[in-house]
Amino acid sequence: MFWIQAFVKIALIVGVLVNMAAILLWVERKQSAMMQDRIGPNRAAIVVGSVRIRAAGLIHSIADGIKMIWKEDWEPTGGDKLLYRLAPIIALVPALCLFAVIPFGPTLHVAHLRDLWSPEWATETTGTVIPMRIATLDVGLLYVFAVAGAGVIGAALAGWSSNNKFSLLGGLRASSQMVSYEVAMGLSLVGSFMIYQSVQPGDMVNWQMQHCWGIFVQPLAFILFATSAIAETKRVPFDVPEGESEVVAGYFTEYAGLKFGMFASGELVEVCTSSALLVVVFLGGWQLPFVQNTGLEFHYLGIDVSWHWAHIVVVLVGLLTFIVKVLVLVFLQLQIRWTLPRFRYDQIMMLGWKILLPLALLNVLLTGFGILFFNGLPTPGAMTP
Amino acid sequence: MTATTKVIRKPQRTMADQSYVIELVKGLGVTLKHFFKGTRQMVTGTTPDLEKHPYADGIATVQYPEEKRPYAQRWRGVHRLTHRDDGSPRCVACLCCSTACPAQCIYIKPAEYAEGDKRRGYERYPEEFVIDELRCIFCGFCVEACPCDAIRMDTGYHMTALDDRASFIYDKAQLMSHVGQDGTQKSANPRHEPGDPTHPGVTRLHGGH
Amino acid sequence: MPNFKLDDREIPFEKGETIIKAAWRVGVEIPHYCWHPGLSVAANCRMCLVEIEPAPGGRAMMLDIMKWDAAKNDYVPDRKPKLQPACQVQAVDGMVVRSTTSKHAAEARAHVQEFLLVNHPVDCPICDQAGECKLQDYWMSEQRTFKRMRDEPVHKPKGVVFGDTIVYDAERCITCTRCIRVCDELVGDHMLDLRERGNRNEVVLAPGRKLEGDYTLMTEHVCPVGALTSSHFRFKARVWTLKETATVCPGCATGCNMYLDVDPREQRAYRNRPRDNEAVNRFWMCDDGMMSYLREHEGRVVKARLGRDGGREDSKVPAALDRAAEAIAKVPAGKLAVLLGAQFSTEDNLVLAAFAKAVGASVYLTAKAPWRADKILRHADQNPNRAGATAVAGGSVGSLQDLLAAAAAGQVQGIVGLGADVDVDANALAPLSRIGEVVLFLSHEGPLARFATVVLPAASWAEADGSFVNAKRLAQPFKRALPPKGDALPAWDLIARLGRAMNLDLSYTKLREVRAALLAQAPEAHPDSRPMAVSADAGAQAQKGA
Ligand code: SF4
Ligand code: SF4
Ligand code: SF4
Ligand code: SF4
Ligand code: FES
Repeated sequence: MFWIQAFVKIALIVGVLVNMAAILLWVERKQSAMMQDRIGPNRAAIVVGSVRIRAAGLIHSIADGIKMIWKEDWEPTGGDKLLYRLAPIIALVPALCLFAVIPFGPTLHVAHLRDLWSPEWATETTGTVIPMRIATLDVGLLYVFAVAGAGVIGAALAGWSSNNKFSLLGGLRASSQMVSYEVAMGLSLVGSFMIYQSVQPGDMVNWQMQHCWGIFVQPLAFILFATSAIAETKRVPFDVPEGESEVVAGYFTEYAGLKFGMFASGELVEVCTSSALLVVVFLGGWQLPFVQNTGLEFHYLGIDVSWHWAHIVVVLVGLLTFIVKVLVLVFLQLQIRWTLPRFRYDQIMMLGWKILLPLALLNVLLTGFGILFFNGLPTPGAMTP
Repeated sequence: MTATTKVIRKPQRTMADQSYVIELVKGLGVTLKHFFKGTRQMVTGTTPDLEKHPYADGIATVQYPEEKRPYAQRWRGVHRLTHRDDGSPRCVACLCCSTACPAQCIYIKPAEYAEGDKRRGYERYPEEFVIDELRCIFCGFCVEACPCDAIRMDTGYHMTALDDRASFIYDKAQLMSHVGQDGTQKSANPRHEPGDPTHPGVTRLHGGH
Repeated sequence: MPNFKLDDREIPFEKGETIIKAAWRVGVEIPHYCWHPGLSVAANCRMCLVEIEPAPGGRAMMLDIMKWDAAKNDYVPDRKPKLQPACQVQAVDGMVVRSTTSKHAAEARAHVQEFLLVNHPVDCPICDQAGECKLQDYWMSEQRTFKRMRDEPVHKPKGVVFGDTIVYDAERCITCTRCIRVCDELVGDHMLDLRERGNRNEVVLAPGRKLEGDYTLMTEHVCPVGALTSSHFRFKARVWTLKETATVCPGCATGCNMYLDVDPREQRAYRNRPRDNEAVNRFWMCDDGMMSYLREHEGRVVKARLGRDGGREDSKVPAALDRAAEAIAKVPAGKLAVLLGAQFSTEDNLVLAAFAKAVGASVYLTAKAPWRADKILRHADQNPNRAGATAVAGGSVGSLQDLLAAAAAGQVQGIVGLGADVDVDANALAPLSRIGEVVLFLSHEGPLARFATVVLPAASWAEADGSFVNAKRLAQPFKRALPPKGDALPAWDLIARLGRAMNLDLSYTKLREVRAALLAQAPEAHPDSRPMAVSADAGAQAQKGA
């Protein structure tokens, strides 16, 4: 049962993410077009009889996919063939794997699906339980850092194995940039760990459900993490690794066809994962304000509303909430990508090391003081989650 | 005389500017404004009519080739050769256009009308008339040079992208097939044709030499 | 020498000369149509009217006229000097003539010009004269007003075929009668005449005749407008795209001076025009000479080739030169014959003669057979440079007949030749087929070509600088008009290369060096030896395009 569950969830997540990449391609094009007073892609069409189905430009993503498949799979001579082929895989797979620990909805209690309403289930833990995440790891978000760190290897390998100086420069830039921002990214979450007293994303969401969204207790960390996350995706304004005005296309200059497609979709998948992380850590995960495991609960300002929902509804609302939150963040990330100009390399390095890192440390310090201020000195027992 | 100096201070960056966050939000405001405006126009189908209001706010894309902006009357497009009433080219192969052409992209092989043709002896005609539209710089000198209004660039066609060079070498038949923006193929400078009633010379006593 | 004054300039003249001719001699042009320096005076166009001041103490010839007075809005009586045609009035010592400085003359020219254009079709786009038309030139310089006549002009026959070579357009004709005078005075055959008068005046063929003979193209040459066009040049090109080169006609031993007009864009020769030279051809050329530009493109040899009869194959010049050097080396000493070419420049022949001397060969001459001669220009000898070739060979060469005799006697086993022309019956060439090695430098194919074992492509006369010595022993230089076709090189260059391939002392690499050798060996054949008083160059310029 466990394996079937895991397999279904993996298939679901990977399927959604890969398709998200294609859809985001379209979103990105359309969104930028609208911002720039253009129409954007709309010519590709599926012709059925005399009807041209254009689907507002969505067909372009399909056409792109087809194109990438049929493009000549050209490989540079003199490069390292094995590493050259490995690199795009290393770039894409970690981005997909990141999602393994991210909870994307409330836990589903199979036992309660039948009885439409029984308030007790909320505390009950018996029966088959389907957690809405692929894996529940003790290391939690540390896994995310570990895996995300692997992504840099893809870019570095691609730059190295292409036997092209522009690729190499791009690869170098990518690795230095990602290593730098990994540091700030990790440190920016320490404050949250201290507050949530856990590194498990599920616990974090629960904490936020009981108290308040992380962004309110860790606003600085939110900005720091979001910045580093965008930098990690190597997209504008942090796209010097592929800065076409200087290094052609950076580390994937020599890539074509599906291999190039893997880099490109890896980037977009990273956008999704980073948004999901932000949602989980700072924006309450699947949680909607005033919605508890039992339904809507509003007990403020003298108004008492208690509206109990069926379990399935709660789960679906949670799922939907999570998806919407992620999509809003994705949208914002794309918007930022089309709003900001590219930073210079030295600015990126300065931002990473001289601003984000000290601020992240400061954030840890302030959080510590804050915890002291509100909770007093912790007792050893209080550390247990 | 004393020069008046106006000191322009270097704009000072404030802490708020430096932090970038506020500026980022402002920037996002601008792009979002455009995004929502464009999206609304697209969804509700209220994109501005660029033919009437070329500088209107909002989506500024012209959906060529379904939509076309009208070309100015004097816009220089692909060449055409005008026709006489009988459909033959008005061109008399004087080579004025090829002489004027700075790109030297016009090749004309002049020839005499065939034995028995009523224009034989009167005129020459272009046996071949070839324009290399790839070399052409669309300066319009050929049109200016033509004494007969035989060549024009008022077709309103632009050069389309084709994938071989040969397709850009327009021969006489192709040039003759083009129609002006006004829909006609006639020359504004017709000629008394020998034998037609407007041609007074033929009624002269010893006309039949 | 007596002088007269034309505007601000003192002009010397010979007794009996007209004003216009004396001015033409010093390069001053008085506008004119009907006058031609080589023809009699007709004085019918009135374009050359000038104001001649009365002799000191003399009475001015004045005319009473009515002149428009714009202020009074009426004609008022006035007087103006009587103008006289410069083409007819003989110059007198001390005469004061005013042309450009006379407002009356200027007015008269403008009006004559307007008058000539009243019925003119202004066909310029389809007129072959456009660009070198006197009507156009003088409209620009003398008239510059628009046509005032609103009626349909008188129409006259167009495209009248006068003969095999000439087409006539009566509408464009200004009836200057130059063409008629060419027929009368140059050819002495009254083939053309005028008919009708005034508006209907036009040139016609004499009854029962057509324009024929050897000088028909001269009528077109003298026609100041586009009324006469030559059927070979008609509609082919525009004169403003042509580039002229001063050269010499390769047609016969007269060596008429001419311009070869080529279109540099197509590298194609389009026509010849006579170049004035009083000492040689005056203003004229014969029809065959006028058509000699075709030789530049017809029957050319542009590639080296090896082998004879069935075994022929094209080759590259260096390989063919090596092959030729080998072949000549095989010929036993004293059995080699060298054929100079009467169709080639003196320079080519000089280097070949030097080659013959170096290898100790006997020297002969290839030439074309004689053709129809006349008393005007055509010389019986069809070869432009027999004299030059003979001069560089030391004054005497054997004929092809002699070579054939020697070949028949077995005294010749190898030939190095310049040109493939023969002046004997083609059947008489049979002995040549027994000769093992025949190396020919050819610009054109010819009867000898079939015996060649090695053919090297030589530049034609239009493709290299050089000189011809004509029948009057006048050495005349000519200039390169076109680059050599295909692999061709100037013949002297090829011969010198062959010599060097055979380790002979033929170090010529520049025409300058060949000319220096020519000056040393045969100074009379050097173009600088030309007795002067030849070309009234200034006059030639003024007459260009007439
Ligand atoms: S438009 Fe200009 S360049 Fe083009 S053919 Fe005419 S003259 Fe030549
Ligand atoms: S198009 Fe006009 S200018 Fe060109 S050759 Fe024809 S008539 Fe002359
Ligand atoms: S004769 Fe001269 S003016 Fe008359 S059509 Fe010819 S070029 Fe033009
Ligand atoms: S044809 Fe020419 S040369 Fe003869 S009369 Fe007429 S204009 Fe003069
Ligand atoms: S040139 Fe003197 S009248 Fe014609």
